[in-house]
Amino acid sequence: MSGALPGGPAGEPAPLLAGEGLALQPARSALARSGEAAARMAAERKAQPSGIWGMALFLCAETMLFVGVIGSYFYLDFRVEHWPPVGVKLPEVLDPSVLTAVLVLTSVPMALAARRARAGALRATVWLIALAAFVQCGYLAFQLHQFVAEAHTLHPQASAYASAYFTLLGLHHAHVLLGILFDLGLLFWLRTGLSDYRITGVRAVALYWHVINVIAVAVLITEISPSL
Amino acid sequence: MRPPRARNGGPARRRPATAALALATICLGGCGGGQSIVAPRSHQTSLIALLWWWMLGASVVVFAGAVGLLTIAWFRRRTPGLPLFGRREEVAGGMVIGFGIVIPLVVLVALFAASDLYVIRFSEAPAASSTRLTVDIIGHQWWWEVRYPGTEAVTANEVHIPIDTRVNVVASTADVIHSLWVPRLARKIDMIPGRQNRILLDTPDPGTYVGQCSEFCGLQHAHMRMTVIAEAPRAFHAWLTNMARPAPAPTTAREREGERLFMSRGCAGCHQLRGTEAHGEIGPDLTHLATRKTLAALTIPNTPAELSAWVRDPQAIKPGNHMPDLGLSGVEVEKIASFLEALH
Amino acid sequence: MGAALAPPAREQVARLDRVWKERTGLLGWLTTTDHKRIGLMYFFTTLAFFAAGGTEALLMRTQLIGPNQKLLTPEAYDQLFTMHGITMIFLVVIPMTTGAFGNYLIPLMIGARDMAFPRMNAVSFWVFLGSGIFLYIALATGQAPNAGWFDYVPLASKQYDPGLNIDFYGYGLIFNGISSTAAAINIVVTIFKLRAPGMSLNRMPLFCFAFLAAAFSLIFALPSLTLACLFLELDRQLGFHFYDVAFGGDPLLWQNLFWIFGHPEVYIIILPAFGIATSIIPTFVHRRMVLFPLVALAELLVAFLGFGVWVHHMFAVGLATEVTIYFAAASMIIVIPSAIQIFSWITTILTGTPEFTTPLLWIIGFIVFFIAGGLSGITLAAIPFDQQVNASYYVVAHFHFVIFGGAVFPILGGMYYWFPKVTGRMYHERVGQLSFWLSFVGTWVTFFPMHIVGIDGMPRRIYTYVASTGWGALNALESIGAYVLASGLLLVIVNLAVSLFKGERVGADPWEGDTLEWSTSSPPPAYNYAVIPTVTSAYPMWDERDRRRDQERLEGGRGVLARGHETPASTVQDAELDEVLGMPPYSMWPPLFALVLFVGFVMLLLAHYLIAAGVAGALAAVLLAWHAREPHQAPLDSTGAAPPPLAREAAS
Repeated sequence: MSGALPGGPAGEPAPLLAGEGLALQPARSALARSGEAAARMAAERKAQPSGIWGMALFLCAETMLFVGVIGSYFYLDFRVEHWPPVGVKLPEVLDPSVLTAVLVLTSVPMALAARRARAGALRATVWLIALAAFVQCGYLAFQLHQFVAEAHTLHPQASAYASAYFTLLGLHHAHVLLGILFDLGLLFWLRTGLSDYRITGVRAVALYWHVINVIAVAVLITEISPSL
Repeated sequence: MRPPRARNGGPARRRPATAALALATICLGGCGGGQSIVAPRSHQTSLIALLWWWMLGASVVVFAGAVGLLTIAWFRRRTPGLPLFGRREEVAGGMVIGFGIVIPLVVLVALFAASDLYVIRFSEAPAASSTRLTVDIIGHQWWWEVRYPGTEAVTANEVHIPIDTRVNVVASTADVIHSLWVPRLARKIDMIPGRQNRILLDTPDPGTYVGQCSEFCGLQHAHMRMTVIAEAPRAFHAWLTNMARPAPAPTTAREREGERLFMSRGCAGCHQLRGTEAHGEIGPDLTHLATRKTLAALTIPNTPAELSAWVRDPQAIKPGNHMPDLGLSGVEVEKIASFLEALH
Repeated sequence: MGAALAPPAREQVARLDRVWKERTGLLGWLTTTDHKRIGLMYFFTTLAFFAAGGTEALLMRTQLIGPNQKLLTPEAYDQLFTMHGITMIFLVVIPMTTGAFGNYLIPLMIGARDMAFPRMNAVSFWVFLGSGIFLYIALATGQAPNAGWFDYVPLASKQYDPGLNIDFYGYGLIFNGISSTAAAINIVVTIFKLRAPGMSLNRMPLFCFAFLAAAFSLIFALPSLTLACLFLELDRQLGFHFYDVAFGGDPLLWQNLFWIFGHPEVYIIILPAFGIATSIIPTFVHRRMVLFPLVALAELLVAFLGFGVWVHHMFAVGLATEVTIYFAAASMIIVIPSAIQIFSWITTILTGTPEFTTPLLWIIGFIVFFIAGGLSGITLAAIPFDQQVNASYYVVAHFHFVIFGGAVFPILGGMYYWFPKVTGRMYHERVGQLSFWLSFVGTWVTFFPMHIVGIDGMPRRIYTYVASTGWGALNALESIGAYVLASGLLLVIVNLAVSLFKGERVGADPWEGDTLEWSTSSPPPAYNYAVIPTVTSAYPMWDERDRRRDQERLEGGRGVLARGHETPASTVQDAELDEVLGMPPYSMWPPLFALVLFVGFVMLLLAHYLIAAGVAGALAAVLLAWHAREPHQAPLDSTGAAPPPLAREAAS
């Protein structure tokens, strides 16, 4: 945390709007409508744009939500002797793990999409996001099918275990759905081209997915913990 | 020091007035007993009361010191810098470190050791092997069920214990969260569904000690009170033996008529009279109702007039409580009341 | 800006005036994204809720003025004390600090022209208003939440509270939480990114440190409450069993989740008040804050440590001694950063030359109450003592001292302090001082005796008490105190309201304040600063050289940023200028979003889940449309036309 100013001799502040040209360029996002111009702007920026900070803080809140629901799951687990209750079958390990792995892998196209967006490559960005969204939709469809099927045999109203289990998974699926909606939104906005604002959007959604995927692993471990 | 005049009277002038008021009220309300935590009658509560007085003393010193500094600031408002030390920043900084870090740390460590390492040993749940008697107290909306395991004794709202005996109180609830608090005898303990919390009751002083529910539990939380009566062991055993007996049979025709009404008009559906066909578990056990000093969890005294009023219209006295208006006629009420008054 | 400006500069300022011109009328306010207008809307809305919460309090105090009073039925009393707590915490203190003071002042203090996300700022307000209306519909229809502001289960479960009362609570708090989370995110990003060039983190006003700490706490604490309410509604509406012992659940899960939010919440309440205090003190004692960096650190530490103490609300629950001891120790440690701040304030006042104007009086009152309330708080960390007075009036005394004396007093002081800045007029000083003394005395007389009745065994949340308890005399005194306090507060409002029209006009800096907001006109123009200020110290207004340099730049037409709705963004740590951002001026999406969200929560309340799902879809559509327009794509001036480029700008 230095008090020193960029450049300038001590006691005499440097021209803070240094190289005045920098300061007075018109609003940068206004200019960068083409992929190339947008990419150049994104590269010149020293700090993370506001949009990334906003998404990061939103993700802090969502992470705390999952810390809470996972914490509640284990709290109830440690309060009772039998978890799940007697007569309830233990959760599967393989299927959920494979599905989660598939979801986590979609971080790769999303990360690549963020990089291509920063480089100004519109088409590559769009295809990568579409690929990720496709796989994520498949994942979600599978999971929802499982969810509904399980709810018929193990009713959430049967026990605290069932309530916690379904709420944990339900919250996770809701966040995957939200992510997919973000992907679709991006595809919608990108149809008219890449701008600096939209590059930030792509990067923010990629960040969202990275965090959701880490949470997905935590949810998986929690979900299968009685079988471990 | 003359109190500062003019518009900035200063907080210093408030303190003597409020302190005097505090003292007066403590003496008026607290010293007499009642439900005051500074009128302790057990080892546990005596330690807590002592802890309180020390904490109060220390707080008064700190508060007075801070207010004193502010008062000095008022007097010296035209002179920059500290009194004596002038404009030396290091001293100002040192004051912040000293009063803000060092002194609080020392005081807090002392307080922690005294309260959370020492006194807490006496307010914790007693070791099961160290107690000679167990009483189960179960909270209900808005009365206390009292049982003596190992005996048939069941009563409500009035707990008897022998003096000089370590009594293990097991606190639980039949519905929502309540909190058992008899301030002169023990710290409070919450009654949580699914838990059996325990506290110690042990007093050398015979007397009647008032308790009150201390966790909001619904409409009549305000009227969920109880008494703990500490008495000589002989008196206690006599009481307990009586409590364990079944309900005394009615002796007069009026009382018999009252008993018949009690069974047929719905009372038996909620209330138990051990030794009869009345086995209701929803309301308090009434087997020896006439031995109690109050009704409706200390809401009203146990006199014939009050009992009749209660039976006739419980909602008027304790609105929202679970005892319905049974639509009894005046004559029916009187008969039932006579029957109940005979249940010694 | 009285100095003569060169023609290019004049042209730029004229363009600023044109481009930032505010829309008039109701539509202007409805669609505004200007942080000052939003701050004012928050201000007046929270004042209305303050009046409601205060009326609830006065009704309760009147009921308790003597034993066995029959003014209120038990049900009415239970709804009143619950709504009083919910209103004061969620609809008054938090929105007043983060929404009103934070929104209005943070951009001004950091030399920016708006918050980082202006449209999201508007959303925070409209969602807050919606959540307040939602909760008060409950009271208006006689089914307000009635199980206390912390709503313990099983009393709040469907079995014991079958009506809509608790559903209003559960859904209402989730609704309200959305507003606070958005506001908190906005505050953090604004403080991190939009500071004037040269305002590195260690030169930021302490006000901003306090709000930054509060905002971070909000982001990390609110999810726990949201989750607790979600579980509650799942249990109530869909028959889940999180809190149900019979099926393996636990009522203590609610208590833990609630207090994991609830304790940081009280630091969220008090930290902005610390920020206001640290703004007012240097101005009126004419010296810098003693050990400024330590105070800044202490503010952050309080927020952080505040997450580790929540079990001290549960000392009577029957937990293992080892668990309770740990939390008692943590609760004692957190005293240290607060003590550091208190003594820094006192030492600063002592070593300065204080002028006991109305704002400083309120801060002195705050210090007195905060010390007393802090001391009673320390006593509550002594577990056995807490196990006597928990859930008694002693605790009610403690938290009113720290919340009312500790948070509301600085808010009132801040209202007086910044009144000239916001309105361009001065309030009446003598009446101001009277309003302080009435409130100060009223607060003591109302809340101090509560320590005594608590020690005397009076539990909290009781609608009446019997005469034999002897609590009548002190209760009567408390009730009288409440009326005195109410008169003091009324006088504050009257003073400010009348001064709004009749007060003497003032210029930019009537107080010789130290922070940037005093450099611009009173009230500030829509664009806050004609020229973007540069900063080289933590007390920018006391740095003549910097302010002269700003003036020179303005005269030369440099750093005016008049091309559109622009504000600079800088790096987080050292505030090196990084880019120029375009800000959106008006948008109808925020109020629309809030309206749709309101409908959604009503549908959830009425258990129309399919419709609620449809509403969620509508929300997605609103968000899609909203983000289709990028912030800079606003029309560059009120005529909608893009102005011609200025020849000079290309060169400079």
